[in-house]
Amino acid sequence: MIDLLTSNPGFIIILAGFLCVFIPVSEIRKFLVGAAPIAAAFLIYTAFKDPDAAYTTVKAGGQEFIVNRIDRLSMIWGYVFCLAGVLNAIYALHEKCKITDSSALIYMGAAVAGVFVGDFLTLFIFWEMAAISSVMLVWKGGENSFPAGVRYLAIHVLSGVLLLAGAIIYGRSNGMDFAMGEPGQYGFLGLDKPGGLLLFLAMGIKCGFPFLHNWIQDAYPKASITGTVILSAFTTKLALYALARCFAGEDILIYIGAVMTCFPVFFAVIENDLRRVLSYSLNNQLGFMVCGIGLADMSGKFGELAMNGVAAHLAADVIFKGLLFMSMGAVMLRTGTAKASDLGGLFRSMPYTTIFCLIGAGSIAAFPLLSAFVTKSMILTAALDTALYTEGYSLWVVYAMLLFASAGVMEHSGIKVPFFTFFAHDSGKRVKEAPWNMLVAMGLASVLCFFFAFPWGGYQFLYSLLPFESTYEPYTGNHVVTQMQLLFAAMLAFALLKKYGMYPDERRAEILDFDWTYRRFGKGIARWIDAMWGRLSANVGVLRKNVIERSGRRLYQMFSPAGTFSESTPSGIAAILTGGMLVLLFIVIYLS
Amino acid sequence: MAEEHTHMDDDYIHPFARRFLWLADEKVVKGFFWLPAIGLAVTVALGLYYDFPEKHKALWDFFGSWGLIGFMAYSFVVFSAKPLFAMLARKENYYGEEVVPEDIIEPVVEVHHHD
Repeated sequence: MIDLLTSNPGFIIILAGFLCVFIPVSEIRKFLVGAAPIAAAFLIYTAFKDPDAAYTTVKAGGQEFIVNRIDRLSMIWGYVFCLAGVLNAIYALHEKCKITDSSALIYMGAAVAGVFVGDFLTLFIFWEMAAISSVMLVWKGGENSFPAGVRYLAIHVLSGVLLLAGAIIYGRSNGMDFAMGEPGQYGFLGLDKPGGLLLFLAMGIKCGFPFLHNWIQDAYPKASITGTVILSAFTTKLALYALARCFAGEDILIYIGAVMTCFPVFFAVIENDLRRVLSYSLNNQLGFMVCGIGLADMSGKFGELAMNGVAAHLAADVIFKGLLFMSMGAVMLRTGTAKASDLGGLFRSMPYTTIFCLIGAGSIAAFPLLSAFVTKSMILTAALDTALYTEGYSLWVVYAMLLFASAGVMEHSGIKVPFFTFFAHDSGKRVKEAPWNMLVAMGLASVLCFFFAFPWGGYQFLYSLLPFESTYEPYTGNHVVTQMQLLFAAMLAFALLKKYGMYPDERRAEILDFDWTYRRFGKGIARWIDAMWGRLSANVGVLRKNVIERSGRRLYQMFSPAGTFSESTPSGIAAILTGGMLVLLFIVIYLS
Repeated sequence: MAEEHTHMDDDYIHPFARRFLWLADEKVVKGFFWLPAIGLAVTVALGLYYDFPEKHKALWDFFGSWGLIGFMAYSFVVFSAKPLFAMLARKENYYGEEVVPEDIIEPVVEVHHHD
């Protein structure tokens, strides 16, 4: 039993989460929330020393599940998740909530476990566990977060169902082998492989691909203060891991990633809710990494640089994005709002939070000596190098989009968030500084932002954890100078636009995004069908009764012990159909 | 909602923040643009010395080009805000889901009012 518990670093965190449900003493729960990720990090450390010994399989129902295997990609993901877990635990120390403690641990544990499993079926289990446990964090945001939580759950269960369907199709075509490639093998799956497209879609939903991204901006700003911070670290990053593992080098990801970097910039500039601005910013940073995964063609010349860039930027992003969400959470805790139109001048009463937010903003904008400077540039360099050595102009367009997005980051996260919260006009709010535990968590995250980019041993340490040996040198004169040109010019544009009254004021509004299609248009259609069905029912009750009876008989013929679906051969199809029915069920629940 | 304050007559300012109150002075705010302007001038000048590596150059990599890209991209994003807002902004309760009142988010909300 103990062997199984320690076989995957995530299991110990999940166990701690379940224990928390039964522990009434807050202090003990808080100890578990902080200690579990540290214990998991230790397990990762010991497992990586002997990867062969760490390979664990479990047989159940005639199927072998690879519950643990480790390589350099899963190692860095695991470490980053554990680090985020410890920071989140400190940040949430003041909150005495059993549900938050237990669901945060189970969610984090599922994410950690997910990056160490070796087959799709086991991944599916943790994929869904992460979705179900994390929705509790959304619902802790208050009663108004309930509809967003339901949408979040429906979308994530849909992602899980697609993952399962894709996995089964893939496994069946592969002699019932569901393994996610060999350790150290990246991009083993293509869109052309059986089940590839479904798996790609499942990961794309969780990763926030364009048009599939709305759950992020819908649910994250409505979650509880600590919940948003916790959510920002795991779900999308687990999906990124799966993409990197399965689809590295898939060309379409380059273009999807490039679009992901750009479109959130335009939504963020008009959004008033600063936690939603940060959610768009999260999308934007995911775009850089998705693009990097697309560039990480292992047979190509720059694949290793791109994959290293993705892994390095993941580490930086989890920390600086967490820091930004933490600072907005602290502001919200003290003022009760995260609306830019209601904030301003808070540097007077929350000076430490201001400094930490500025460090987070500088990090995401990639100022030299701050983390993204040494990580995002690896992806940009890989994009430039690939464009230089590839015929055609499409990759130049991608590179230009990434550059544009780099300036856009400066707008929404580099300037807008700290400026409208802590500076701008004085809102007159005089509040207490954030609680000590929040300040400690933000302080540690700030130190990490500097450490990851520190020229004398800092970034070298980060690079030593990457999937491949790195020879990339971020501190060249040209890189520092050009990056500073970009950032200073963006700041100058902001200062001039503000000075001459051309910068738009922040106004309260609901900004429509693609979720309009299902929150308004889809809902309208569902209501219309419902009304039509109601009218029809009144007139054709007998017909409806007959149809239902016939369907029932047919279903019995199919699913009864003697039915078609009890035969062994089409069990995969049955699973897919069950998956399909689950989707249908969730759509019905959602629309009702 | 708290009342408006002038920053100098405020008893509720954090002691650590008092040494940074000059940041809100009108002169500093109005003259802020000099900081990025000088920074940009210096880095553009430094670009003469730290030129782009010949074999590692994009089509648009020329003297001061990243400054130009930063300025143009940022301005484009900001100028796009007005038409986008007109097109996409709706009332806050557009979806019929109640707007979160400011006083129910978390239990501790300490806004001091200045008498």
